[in-house]
This record gives sequence, C-alpha cells and structure tokens, in this order.
Amino acid sequence: MTGTVAPIPRATAAQAARRGLRRAATTLDPLATVAACVLLAMFAATILARLVGLGGSPTEIVGTRLAAPSLAFPLGTDSLGRSLVPRLLEGIGTTLLLSVIAVAITAVLASTAGIVAGYRGGRVNGTIMRVGDMLYAFPSIILAILVAAVVGPGQVAALASIVLVTVPLMTRLVAVSSRAVADRDFVAAAVISGVSTPRILVRHILRNVAGTIAVQGTYALSIAILVEGGLSFLGYGVQLPGSSLGLLIKEGTTYMVKAPWLIVAPGVVLVIAILCINVIGDSLRDRLEPRETRSLV
Amino acid sequence: MKRTPLAIGLLATALVLTACTAPTTESTAATEEQPGYLAVADPSLATGGDLSVQLDYDSVEANGLDPQTATTARSWTLMGLVYDTLVTVGPDFSIEPGLATSWDTPSDTEYVFTLRDDAVFSNGRPMTADDVVGSLQRLLDSKSDWSLQLGQVSSVQATGGNEVTVTLAAPYTSFLGALANTPAAILPMTEIADGSVDITTTMLGTGPYVVQDHVQDQSWTFGPNEHYYGAATRGPESVAVDIVTEENTRLAAIRDGSADYAFFNNVDALDLLGGTENARVVNQQNTDFYYLIINSQNPDSPLADQKVRFAINSALDRQEISDIALAGQALPTGVTPATLPGACPAADLPSEKPTTDEIKQALADAGAEDLDLTITLYNTEPALAQIAQVMQQELAAVGVNLTIENLDIGSFVDKIYSSSPSDIDLALSWYAGYGDAAMVSKWWNGDVSTFTAGFKANDPAQNALQVAAGSEPAGAERDATMVELCASVDESSELVPLVTRPGVIGYRTDSLSPTINTNEGYGSVLRDIVDYRMIDAG
Repeated sequence: MTGTVAPIPRATAAQAARRGLRRAATTLDPLATVAACVLLAMFAATILARLVGLGGSPTEIVGTRLAAPSLAFPLGTDSLGRSLVPRLLEGIGTTLLLSVIAVAITAVLASTAGIVAGYRGGRVNGTIMRVGDMLYAFPSIILAILVAAVVGPGQVAALASIVLVTVPLMTRLVAVSSRAVADRDFVAAAVISGVSTPRILVRHILRNVAGTIAVQGTYALSIAILVEGGLSFLGYGVQLPGSSLGLLIKEGTTYMVKAPWLIVAPGVVLVIAILCINVIGDSLRDRLEPRETRSLV
Repeated sequence: MKRTPLAIGLLATALVLTACTAPTTESTAATEEQPGYLAVADPSLATGGDLSVQLDYDSVEANGLDPQTATTARSWTLMGLVYDTLVTVGPDFSIEPGLATSWDTPSDTEYVFTLRDDAVFSNGRPMTADDVVGSLQRLLDSKSDWSLQLGQVSSVQATGGNEVTVTLAAPYTSFLGALANTPAAILPMTEIADGSVDITTTMLGTGPYVVQDHVQDQSWTFGPNEHYYGAATRGPESVAVDIVTEENTRLAAIRDGSADYAFFNNVDALDLLGGTENARVVNQQNTDFYYLIINSQNPDSPLADQKVRFAINSALDRQEISDIALAGQALPTGVTPATLPGACPAADLPSEKPTTDEIKQALADAGAEDLDLTITLYNTEPALAQIAQVMQQELAAVGVNLTIENLDIGSFVDKIYSSSPSDIDLALSWYAGYGDAAMVSKWWNGDVSTFTAGFKANDPAQNALQVAAGSEPAGAERDATMVELCASVDESSELVPLVTRPGVIGYRTDSLSPTINTNEGYGSVLRDIVDYRMIDAG
C-alpha cells in the first residue's frame, strides 16, 4: 500500500459516552422499553427494601406459619411465619445483583479473551477456544455444582459458577466478531500507521464488537439468573436465612399443594425477569446486528 | 407487540392462583388406635405380599454392614430386618422377650437369659448359647459406641444349653435397654470365627428377612428368611426399600400409591398429606432430640466462659423452637428425653428462669455484648435450618448476631470432630434417645464419650451424676438424680438438649395395615414390620 492514510476521527471520552447513551436510548423498541422499565422497577423495589425496609424485615417472624395472602401479608407467610414480600424483595435483589456482577465479570473476561483470540488468530485463538471447549464439555449445572463443591456453598460459588457457565459462549462469539473486524481495512491501516496493539484492540476492535458484547451480555444475564436459581434450588447457592429467587422456589416446592403462594410469587418474578431480559436482548440485537434473524417471536 | 399478552397472561394467572387460594392448613393430629399404638395391623388379614417403603437416606457405616459398630438409627432400622436381639422394647419402653424368652435377675448385677430353642440363622444353622456369648463378647471387645452403652460387664458365660448369664461389675438399670438395640444383635459367631462369613459385607441373622439386593443410596430388597422362627405369622413376604432423598417425591409416592409406607422428616407432611384419599399420616413421637453444641474448648472464644454459654442457652425458647420450626409437634426436653418415663421436666431447667434483661446483663458483665457467632449445621436434616433460623431471631433479641453455616454432612463431621478444640462456635445435630432415660446421657459423660472432647469439658461431677442415673433403680430417688443431672448439663451449657425430634409416617390404607408405636426410642421406623399386613395379600 502506498499513499497517505486518512486520520481516524477521534472523540473525547465524554463525547463517546454521550453518543453511547443516545444510541442506547434509541436502540430499544417500545416493548423492550417496557421490559427495561419492569427490570428497573424490580431494581428500585429491592434497593428501597434494603435502604428503607420496604415490605419489612426479610428474616423477622411476624405471623403464623404458612398464612395465606391477606392485607397484612399480601403474598402470605412462609414456613417460619415470615412475610413473603420482604423475602421476595431480598430474593430479587440477591438474584439480580449476583447475576449482574457475574455477567460484568464475564463480559470483561470474555471480551478480553475473545478480542485477543480474534485479533491474533492462530495458536492464541486455538488455545483460548480449546479452553472454552473444555468448559463447554460440562453441562452447565454440573459445572456449577462442581464449583460449589470446591469453594463451598454460598454466593461466591454462585458467582464463580455463573462466570464459568457464561464465559465460553460469549468468548467464542466475541472472537468470531473480532476476527471479522480485524480483517477490515481500517485495522490494517492502523497497523501500518504504527498504532500499538493494545490501542488497536481497544479503539478499533472493542468498539466494533461492543454490540455483540451487549447482546450476549443480556442473554448471559438470563442464563445467570437461571444458574443462580438452579444452584440455590439445589442448596449450593445462596444460604439461609438469605433469600434468592431459586431458594424461595425451593422452599415453595415443599408446600406447593397447601401453600402455592410460596412458589407462585418467586416463580412468576423469575419468569418475568428472564422474559424482560430476553426481550431487551432481542431488541438490541435487532438494532445492532440487523443481519441476524430474531430468536424470540 | 405479540409478546405483551403473554406477559399479561402470566401475571394474571399468577395473581388469580395467589388470590384464589384459601388457607387449607388442617390438623391431622394422630390419634392412637390402641394405647401405645398409632396404628394396629388387622390380624384377620392374610400374611404375605410385597411391601414398598420409601426412606429419606440410606445406612452408611465406616465398617460396612457390621451391626455392632453401626452408629446411625437408619442402620439400626435396616439391619434390624435381618438381625434379632435378646430382648426388645414395648410401646411403653418396658423390656419384652426377643431371642431370650425370659430372664432372671438373681442379684442387681446378674442377668440369666433363657434362649429360644427355635431361633435359626438364615443359612439354616440353629442359634446357640455360644453365638450369644460370642456376640456380646465381640461387642464389648469392639469398643464401639454401643459397647459403651452396655455398662461395665464382668463376664458373659453360657451356663446351660439355652442359657446365658451376664454379670455386671456394678448395677446398671439401662442394661436391658442397651441389649434391645440392633448393635447388640446376635451374630453367627461360628461362621465369623471360621471366616466363611464376612459380617461387614454379608448380613446373616436370625431375623425375619434376608438381603437380596442392595444398591448404596438407592435401594434395598429384602426377601423372606425361610428359617425365621416366626415365619408362619410374618407379614409381608418381601420388602422393597427405595432411598428417596427428595421429600416431595416421597409425598407424591404416598399420594399416588407407588409406595405403601414412607417416612418424612418434615412435620408439615402431616398437613401436606392430610385429606389424601386412601392414605393416613401419623406423627410418631421419638425419644430422639435435637441438641445445640456451644463450644467451650476454644480458650480464645467468649464461649469458654460458662456465664456466656449459659446466657445463650437461656435466650433460647424451646417451646417457640417447637412451635415455629417444628409446627408444634416437638416437645422441649432436657438431657433425659421428655418422652421417656422418669424424664426431668424441661420447664424446670435453670436456663428457663432468666429474663431477657438478666441475660443481656449477664452478657454485659462477661464483656460479651454484641457477639458475632456462627452456627454450623448439615443440610440433609431440613429441620436443623429451621431451628437455626428461629434461634437466630431469639439470640438477636439479646444482642447475639448468629450466622448460619449449612454444610454437607461430611464437612460438618470433619469440622466438629477432626480437631481439638473443634473449629466451631455453635453447632446443631440430634441424638437418638433410646429406651431408658439415662442411656443417652452417657454421651455427656466425658469418661465414656471421648468424641465430645473437642467441644465439651470432662466434668467429674457431671460424670458421677450420669453414672448414678444409670445405676439407680427406677423410682423417686432416680428421678431426683435425673433432675440434678439435667440441671448440671443445662448449667454447663456445652451440649444443650433442645426439643424432641418428631417423625412423620405416611401409609396407604388401601394396600397396607401396619402396626406403628406412638413413641419410638431407637429410630426404628419399621419396628413391628412382621405384624404388618398387606391388604391384597393372599
């Protein structure tokens, strides 16, 4: 190649952030906006519960055991006479917070590994992909139980399990997208111009695969909620007297016949949360990856 | 916009389900069909048939299938289908004949047993007095946990063709109660001696059944012992025991009839099975009880101070623990199980007296305000987590912050017993209460139960009280000693009895007519199985 290369337009961090926000605001369709509002409402309710005690104490025994929904206890009481409302609010918070933190960690790990694999190709790509294949080889819940057995039941186990379950898929997809971007001319131009590799990875590759990461992040979030729920259901996740959606569903299964409110409320919330996240993910994908077909509806 | 109706539909369904569900809790408090029995099998029904049983966990013992070293009630239940003991216990915990048809006590240290002459091992060899002598001697030599329950035995001798005499070094009231449990079973000593039977892998007894198949943690299949002396009146011909850990699956099995008989750990099973057609559910009281370990042996812990431990003990409300964690089906107890004759009244324990303010003051005086403690439990006994959460509330009221650590059983045992001092603050578990009020208290005697040394001091005064309770004959004097022993255990607050451990049994009335005693001492949920009758047998 000869001649001069046009300078790559630069933007300040503030400008980039503003552009990102604008893009995000205009990316969601109306249904996804409703879904986002529902999720935000869940977050707000759980934050209020923790800050100002909305719904009461999640551990205090306040009524008779297994009382049906009433004005005093809108979702009934559990097998120890605790109101289900604060238990549910705490459970939503625990599940969502754990899942969001885990997916954030997944996003960082998978983005780093995927971008490096996609950009470098060859042995680096092969090594990273094989590590991912090894993790893939385990069914997700078995992998999660294995992690819980090593680090012990609890939130750390749930967090580590979610990361290990969600990292391989996101790494692979980011690597594929990065490979496509790395083959583009503007990347070649940057290389020829002497731009450092870290800068190319961040400024050119990462920016152009951000859509993939965002879309996969939402799907990873729904998987994370399910993994947390499954782990807690099996007794390896959140421990008593803590609360999570999976733990509440586990408690509810015992009393499914006599006290169905114990399983219906956390079950419905779990379904709604995952539905909302998937709707948002679909909407993001429609906008950011229009060549793909929709997976929902 | 196709997705909106779906979400609305889900929400509406949930709300309708939630709102329309009326309170359905109903009491199914069990009533006795006969004094001492929650259910009595119909003797007019034919013998034979196949019994299907579902239990929550399997027998797991370090020494395999050797009954003498078995330490868990589940092992005693399952091994008890194959092995017989010299004596057994009745519904009121009186001693009844087993392989011994009668016994004399020429002195308070001498027991002369007359043996059945028709007891035959399942390999066809008749049981002899030498088998009895050899079995008891082997048990004593084993130094197993149960050998400690036999007391100080001076000699075991065959004093006739069908007669065995046991001489004790000192009077021991609980001796016959100790002989009534599976670890004191009579083994085929000739075969063990000549090596033709490995008792750790093969079960060979004089009991009603033989093992046909066993898959660990999955199932047992028992067939009839053709040589059983009571074969003519034995109820079910075969017994299939499935190990089903999930409580809901066992509930479903009773509902749909895929099991004839099932045991439940969750007292709410009484309610959950209430109203099920062709099924009955009963609450069997046990002498078993839950206890709290308060580790006194870590010198760096505030729990090394007796005043702090006693304050924590005093902050616990046993009745509330029963009402909330166990649906009111358990009984507050001291170290002598509340369901046994001669037990000390739990309401009179010293820890029942201090008020909340006095407890707070005691903690403050000991410099132990705002304590942060961890309570360790294991996850295969769901009631422990329920009890721990109630305790968490009760202790919070006196400024003690309790963190719950719920482990698998292996990690739990390792944490408590593998180091000295134990690596715990508090822990929850349960003991079988056996058939005499003084028997379980042996685990409080540091001279005998060295396995508690990691979390409990060896207290000579308490040991002396325990020995006295075990040796004094039943009566007012022994009852007074029991009260004193209960108070001593309660005040030291190291191993604190809480409430009894109720068990729930469900069975199909359209397929089974069982005999179930009201109060069980050795965790044997299939105690009277030879009396059971299958409805469609014959």
